[in-house]
Amino acid sequence: MKISKKGLRLFFIYVLCILIAIATLFPIYWTFIISAQSKLEIFSGPNFFPSTFHSENYTRPFLQDVYGRYLANSLIVATGNTLLVIVLAVMSTYAFSRFQIPGSSNIFFWTITNRMAPAAVFIVPFFLIFSRLGLRDTRIGLIILYCIFNLPFAIWLLKGMMDSIPKELDEAAMIDGCSIWGVLVRVIIPLAKPGIMVTAILTWIFAWNEYLFASILTNVKARTITTGLIEFVTVIGTNWGEMAAVSMVCLIPAVVFIGIAQQHIITGLTFGAVKD
Amino acid sequence: MRRRLLTVVFVLCFLLVPTMVFAQVANPDWWKKAAEPYKGVVIHGVSESTPPSKAIAEIAVPAFEELTGIKVELETTSWDEMYNKEIQDMQAGAGIYDFVYLEQDAVYSYMEQDWLTDLTPFVDNADLTEPDFDLPDFTSFIDYFKGKDGELYGIPFEAFLKTYIYRTDLFNDSDIQAAFKEKYGYDLAVPTTWEQYEDIAKFFTEYGKEKGIELYGHVAQAKTHPCLAYELCETIWPPWGVYNWGINLENMRTSVENGGTLNSDTAKEALGWYVDMLQYAPPGVRTYTWDEAAAVFGTGIIAQGFLYMENLGWLAHDPDRSVVIGKVAIDIPPAKPGVMEAAEAGEGYIGYYDGGAWGIPYCSKNKEAAWLFIQWCTRKEWQPEFAELATTVVRKSAFEDPIIDELNVAMGGYYTVMQEKGHLFAGCPPLPMQTPLNELYLQWISRAVAGEVSPEECLDNLAKEADELMEELGY
Amino acid sequence: MRVKKTQVWGLISPTLILMILIGVIPVIYVIYLSVFKYSVFSKTGMVYVGFDNFRKLVFDASFLKSLSLGLTFVAICCLVEIPLGLLIANVLTYEFKGKGVFRTIMALPLAMAPVSIGSMWVLLTNPDVGPLPYFLGKIGVDYNIGVNATQAFATTVFMDVWHWTPFVILTFMAGLASLPKDPYEASLVDGANRWQTFRYITLPLLRPVILTTLFIRIMDTFRVFDEVWMLTSGGPGTATRFVSIHLVREVLRSMNYGYSSAMSLFLLYLTIVICWLLLTFISISQEEV
Repeated sequence: MKISKKGLRLFFIYVLCILIAIATLFPIYWTFIISAQSKLEIFSGPNFFPSTFHSENYTRPFLQDVYGRYLANSLIVATGNTLLVIVLAVMSTYAFSRFQIPGSSNIFFWTITNRMAPAAVFIVPFFLIFSRLGLRDTRIGLIILYCIFNLPFAIWLLKGMMDSIPKELDEAAMIDGCSIWGVLVRVIIPLAKPGIMVTAILTWIFAWNEYLFASILTNVKARTITTGLIEFVTVIGTNWGEMAAVSMVCLIPAVVFIGIAQQHIITGLTFGAVKD
Repeated sequence: MRRRLLTVVFVLCFLLVPTMVFAQVANPDWWKKAAEPYKGVVIHGVSESTPPSKAIAEIAVPAFEELTGIKVELETTSWDEMYNKEIQDMQAGAGIYDFVYLEQDAVYSYMEQDWLTDLTPFVDNADLTEPDFDLPDFTSFIDYFKGKDGELYGIPFEAFLKTYIYRTDLFNDSDIQAAFKEKYGYDLAVPTTWEQYEDIAKFFTEYGKEKGIELYGHVAQAKTHPCLAYELCETIWPPWGVYNWGINLENMRTSVENGGTLNSDTAKEALGWYVDMLQYAPPGVRTYTWDEAAAVFGTGIIAQGFLYMENLGWLAHDPDRSVVIGKVAIDIPPAKPGVMEAAEAGEGYIGYYDGGAWGIPYCSKNKEAAWLFIQWCTRKEWQPEFAELATTVVRKSAFEDPIIDELNVAMGGYYTVMQEKGHLFAGCPPLPMQTPLNELYLQWISRAVAGEVSPEECLDNLAKEADELMEELGY
Repeated sequence: MRVKKTQVWGLISPTLILMILIGVIPVIYVIYLSVFKYSVFSKTGMVYVGFDNFRKLVFDASFLKSLSLGLTFVAICCLVEIPLGLLIANVLTYEFKGKGVFRTIMALPLAMAPVSIGSMWVLLTNPDVGPLPYFLGKIGVDYNIGVNATQAFATTVFMDVWHWTPFVILTFMAGLASLPKDPYEASLVDGANRWQTFRYITLPLLRPVILTTLFIRIMDTFRVFDEVWMLTSGGPGTATRFVSIHLVREVLRSMNYGYSSAMSLFLLYLTIVICWLLLTFISISQEEV
């Protein structure tokens, strides 16, 4: 009886997972199919198993065009921004979560409002500021700028995670003579590791996918892959095949990054996992 | 293996092309001397990623850099983004760009704001202008880039029509011709009236259904997207006799009571007709922009329609994207009674003459070097090759070149139409506020296309709001 | 406690300085613009109009329509994504074969740029050549997002759910991972079943994470642009012209800086109020529990 109940549950889980996996993968599979077709084939009706592979879609953007450089820029900007955001966010979230600061809830809430602001209208002031400071078309400029939406996000997400770490743990460490930094490094960071990793993944993804700011604030040197993708859309036709191919290539670093970071969530998961 | 070999050959061809095309420079010594003071300067430009700009970026730029020692950084990007970048730059006076793409319809906004450099002093300066530059050789399209007192703000490098395109293989098929004659009582030919256009559209769509083949008699760019409003203003209304976006250019008002024609009966009828005609286009027509409209035409399921002739280059040559190579021809659009006469007399127009030019922002820091580069792109001796790469002609002398005759055949008589009937077409009227206006037009027209409002309601409301917008903007 | 105030401020100050630099200065500039009538294409240049721009907002029919559309979109997306994310995150706490593979697959949509998602969905839903209309046609559904407003709206919701549910799952997984395990051991001793454990232990403990995720989703769906613009551009008609799209068009296309600044401030204020209300409401209900 018990086994069959467990078996039933497992069956239910598999059905759910397979359904979700299909729904998730289908658009990506379709992107791959598009990337394997020439423009004419794309507009000649649905073809689920193409027999030919139009490899020019992959070779041209990276070998003849400058998409390799765009990809490198995106990697540098996303990774740099993630490092900056995580360091700042861990520090400040720790303070928000553990110490009484006058007006701390107001400061905390104000930080968050920065993510609520509609981005479009800030293009004008940012353009002016960046031109003045010489940050336009630089990777460091984007790394700093992306903090405006990533830092509030990271702080908010980490706050929830840190609040759920029992206070007794770090109070005990402090009584044992740890400094404020010691508690942060030895107690909080190890305990909040899954949260930090998830925040890092998502921060990285947001920076990796950002388009609006990058499109206006970069020109040649610091252009990112998302601005490169939009170049395929022209008045005389969108280059769907190459766009899909570049999108597929873009998946690779993201998958690698997510894969590495997820390893740490798994460790976390087994630590706090619900026992059956 | 064979594929790899092909790729190698392909890459090699690309490397060889620049040297081949630029083997002939009329006055290399002049260029070297003129560029001497600007050696090592880096100039920045922005343009849309269309074939002419791509040809310039891939071929003209390297050759120019090698000959003159001036370095050129040309960004090619999407249409939307290009506008934003140019406007941000010039509005802030940031001086990022030394030369910018001026689309014909946008140039009035830039002139209104005094954002462009008058090029006349450069043209008159013999140290900076090549002896063979020959300004009068440009087609009349250059006139759109002149200010009120004849100042010159842009040198065109791209010009094309949006006009009628049809499939010769279908129109000349004797079975089809017989079937058409039987049904409508007259011969199948290029339509000269809108009624004929409708008959043909209906005929081919029904013919496709009967024969069980995918074939439609009409195509449009009816997605909720700026292109929809442009299609009405550029392609549908003018040959119905509603010019200048329905705007009375004297007082910049659109509604009938203020002397405009936007909510006139003709405009409403035309819009109603446009919406009704979508039934003869492929089922997805309401998701098409200019992009898909041409792409679908390339797959050979459209018998006739209106397209931007920028697309003709690949429609006529690129087997990767087109199955209609050698099967298309170009003609002028049909017109309502009286419109053709008005167009001949210069009082109206039947279609859209679009294109772009290079201009120099007022805040550029390297105007002289930018001017040299602009001349380089529009040099007389390069134009025939450029026409082949980019299917665009901006100089009268280029029409004389044998290459154009060859292209003309492949492109279904496009250059003949352009040369002989080009004067019947017109660019965008001088509307410095055309971008916000287009956005407003789009909001209302898209609702009519979606059936949310009737064409009458749509245009009455639109005219009212357009008048308000004009007033708000100080016109 | 022996912690000095300066030490605590030392932890926060780098964040504060950075946020003031990139967060406050632009907002001040936007507030300044919002009291002017100012469009790039205007003949009159900048004209001081006080609060006229804000007054105008209340009577702007197209703005109000897009606002209600935008809010509907936010509500539907959040209502679908949060429960779905919770369900999947919970499923992932079980051990089963292929879990690692599934977890990687599930996160894939996040790795695609919104710009390319929008474009790929254009092809996916294209009435002539897309597989979605093809399959739905087989089961007798006439699917055409260029014509049918409801289908277009549903497709944008579906696209958002497809793209962002993995985000919700990931944050919930992390939340679940850092839960203390003592309450669970206690419940095991008490003989609680799985549903009871979930309802009375996991859900309350996870509440801060759920709340956080919900807020982030509210903010982000409210600002959605790239994907929806590529897919429908707000059409057919105005069926998917969400307020975020309306605003971006107002800024980038109409270049009506004064009015759109006022609009942005209004939206910012609205988001703050919504989040504040939710926060208050939830903390009240929390006290009752």
